[in-house]
Amino acid sequence: MTPKIKPAPVDVVIVGLGANGGTAAKVLSEAGLKVVGLERGPWLKNDKHYSGDELKFVNRNYMWPDSKLTPRTVRRSETEVAEPYPFSMTPQLVGGGTNHWAGWVPRPRESDFMLRSLHGDIDGASLVDWPFRYDHLEPYLTKVEWEFGVSGIAGADKTEPFRSKPYPSMPLPPTRWGKKFYDACNKMGINAFPIPHASVTNGHKGRNPFNRTSFWNQYGDPSGARSNTATTFIPEAIATGNFELRSEAFVREVVVGKDGKATGVIYVDEDGAEIQQDAKVVILTLGAIESARLMLMSKSSKFPEGIANSSGLVGKNATFHEYLFAIGFFDKDIDDPVYGWAGNYISGGTMDFYETDESRGYIGGSITAASQTCHPINMVFPGRPLWGQALKDSDRTFFSHAMKIGLILHDLPQESNRVDLDPNVKDYMGLPVARITHKAHANDVAMGKWQVDKNVEILEMAGARKTIPVYLDQMTGNTCHQHGTARMGFDPAKSVLNEWCQSHDVENLFVLDGSGFPTATGVNPTLTMMANAWRCSDYIADYYLKGREMRLEQPK
Amino acid sequence: MSSKADWKTILEPVNPDSNEPLFFTKHEWDTVEAIAARIIPTDHDPGAKEARAVVFIDRYLSGISYIFASADGSGFLEIDGKHAHSWRARISDLQKVYREGLLVVDEVSMSTYSKKFVALDNESQDAVLVKVSGQPKPGAVNLGTTEPATTFFQFVSDDGLPFWPAICLHVKQGFYADPVYGGNKNHMGWKVIGFDGPENLKDTMDGTYTTADKFTGDYNWGELIPVLANQSDFPVPVKSEGMYN
Repeated sequence: MTPKIKPAPVDVVIVGLGANGGTAAKVLSEAGLKVVGLERGPWLKNDKHYSGDELKFVNRNYMWPDSKLTPRTVRRSETEVAEPYPFSMTPQLVGGGTNHWAGWVPRPRESDFMLRSLHGDIDGASLVDWPFRYDHLEPYLTKVEWEFGVSGIAGADKTEPFRSKPYPSMPLPPTRWGKKFYDACNKMGINAFPIPHASVTNGHKGRNPFNRTSFWNQYGDPSGARSNTATTFIPEAIATGNFELRSEAFVREVVVGKDGKATGVIYVDEDGAEIQQDAKVVILTLGAIESARLMLMSKSSKFPEGIANSSGLVGKNATFHEYLFAIGFFDKDIDDPVYGWAGNYISGGTMDFYETDESRGYIGGSITAASQTCHPINMVFPGRPLWGQALKDSDRTFFSHAMKIGLILHDLPQESNRVDLDPNVKDYMGLPVARITHKAHANDVAMGKWQVDKNVEILEMAGARKTIPVYLDQMTGNTCHQHGTARMGFDPAKSVLNEWCQSHDVENLFVLDGSGFPTATGVNPTLTMMANAWRCSDYIADYYLKGREMRLEQPK
Repeated sequence: MSSKADWKTILEPVNPDSNEPLFFTKHEWDTVEAIAARIIPTDHDPGAKEARAVVFIDRYLSGISYIFASADGSGFLEIDGKHAHSWRARISDLQKVYREGLLVVDEVSMSTYSKKFVALDNESQDAVLVKVSGQPKPGAVNLGTTEPATTFFQFVSDDGLPFWPAICLHVKQGFYADPVYGGNKNHMGWKVIGFDGPENLKDTMDGTYTTADKFTGDYNWGELIPVLANQSDFPVPVKSEGMYN
């Protein structure tokens, strides 16, 4: 049934205003297009709503989705009934995951775009190349680094591919535990450098980065230090006069017209009213889980299996990047404190283990970085005693004498790892929730083991007197990294989107988040996603909405 | 319904010295306080009893008025709309978990020692809690070892937790959460472990509270990153100028 409320049609409607929706909003509104952005969550203001309250931000889900309202379910195989589990629960509000993130923004590597060319078919995996290469993305990586604000030291990562510009901001000084990491790496001949960070330490673009609290990962930043689309790209889009933001707007369907094109979306506002927003172009940027869910919920006579799903691939080939790590403890009676709780989460990392070395028993590799052990309630300490004198003693002994080295697992795509609609569990709107079916690949487990063991070696070289390695068993969805559920490619039978993240089936539907990533990469994906969203938004403004078309050739 | 962005601030920071329960009966209050004193015991440093973990837990379980402090810690947010429904359901479940769990503690205590839990000595209380938890009392964490674990979900909520892990989590929260919630009296928990936290939440919003002194002051990027000397495309910095100097 068509809703009665129908605001004036616009050029573009964007669903989901996180990293990628925020990027599209800026690029398209600055190009002079009339854009409406719909965000299911609230529009919190960093200077009014954010502070260093561990209980509120980390334990009580102030900023995270409430799993009673919007559950997800997980199972490991086709035959199991999926159980409710908060898998990869990315914050749903204006700015999305750029509100809470630590903000690692390393560049991808040339190999990330051509895994199948490099490795051929791997048993059980669905490896494919990307439809473009690093060189296509480089100008946009630079645009995001400068417009959004990224700190780093150009030339410090000897494995980084070509970059056209240095960074707009210097990184933070090393933390005490970061210094331990650098010193150990230098003893081992490992190239350590400051992981590029979505934050500024200077007044770039008028920002005031006064936050020096160390309340960083999972907290909102009340200052202008953190790069968050809610405080950067979205205000810039609003300033054009071409962008209208509607928060607390839950999109439940992408509507298809008789001509097979999308006419717009239907959303439910805060008071339960149904509204239809028509547009010439519909952009989905809800994250690879929720974008797939919305596509699968958007059933019509033309698309009985969900919009843009003639290939049957929507939701499949999902990859999620588990965060693995090892903890190192120092001796309070002998060693200086490293203050594992201080700093803006990351400080020093390496890409030396990123490229394939088959002697390790797996293909690919991951970024490695030293990071915080976080705050008192939620200290990252597997095996922390649950109660008693042992709890008090270990907290008192190790709170300031712990550090962590982690990695972002570059998991391989498998067609059977997927997102679909749970047949039993509904959200507070009565809509089916996303069900994750995921089983780790043997390559994932082997990579996790080798890399975590390497982290232990580095910790021991740094002087740690006890280590706790944390290996992969099964994915718990402990990052917000989601990819692959509408993979890009040239062949409409084998992919959902083309090289501009444009649906093969529905020419005015674009999916500009990680859904299009054919493989996961082994770096934190947001910089790559935002650069790609920018690249595709340029295509929408310069080509698609001008009635023109441009196709890339299959890269060699 | 109002958006989370518009929730009003109500009430005031919880008084840690209050002895008036909002949720617990007097006996439940005393029992929770006694259990908290075994979860984080008092030694040469204060424990969960002195930090007023019982006040923290009582306020949390009393309804939905003490769930989220306002950003500046001047009071609490008045939860509205769908979030009010879900938090009411969550707290209602926890109330039941506590009521039933505390009965079990006294039942185990009575059947073993013919006394209520609050009347036992420390050693007997620990023996009861070992039975309630179904696991041995946690042992000390020692240096000189490697102890492997497998990946786990790191963001700890209390949804669906049984009584024992729930009260252990809540006592830890009552020891270490910002004092606005009624525990961690005078930052007692933070002082025990050497966490130089903020005086109040407002100080984390305007640059007053700083941890700049916990960074490395004496460093040189060229020394930390030797490869910088091998490239000529970009300048090599000595230090990061700016906010942390």
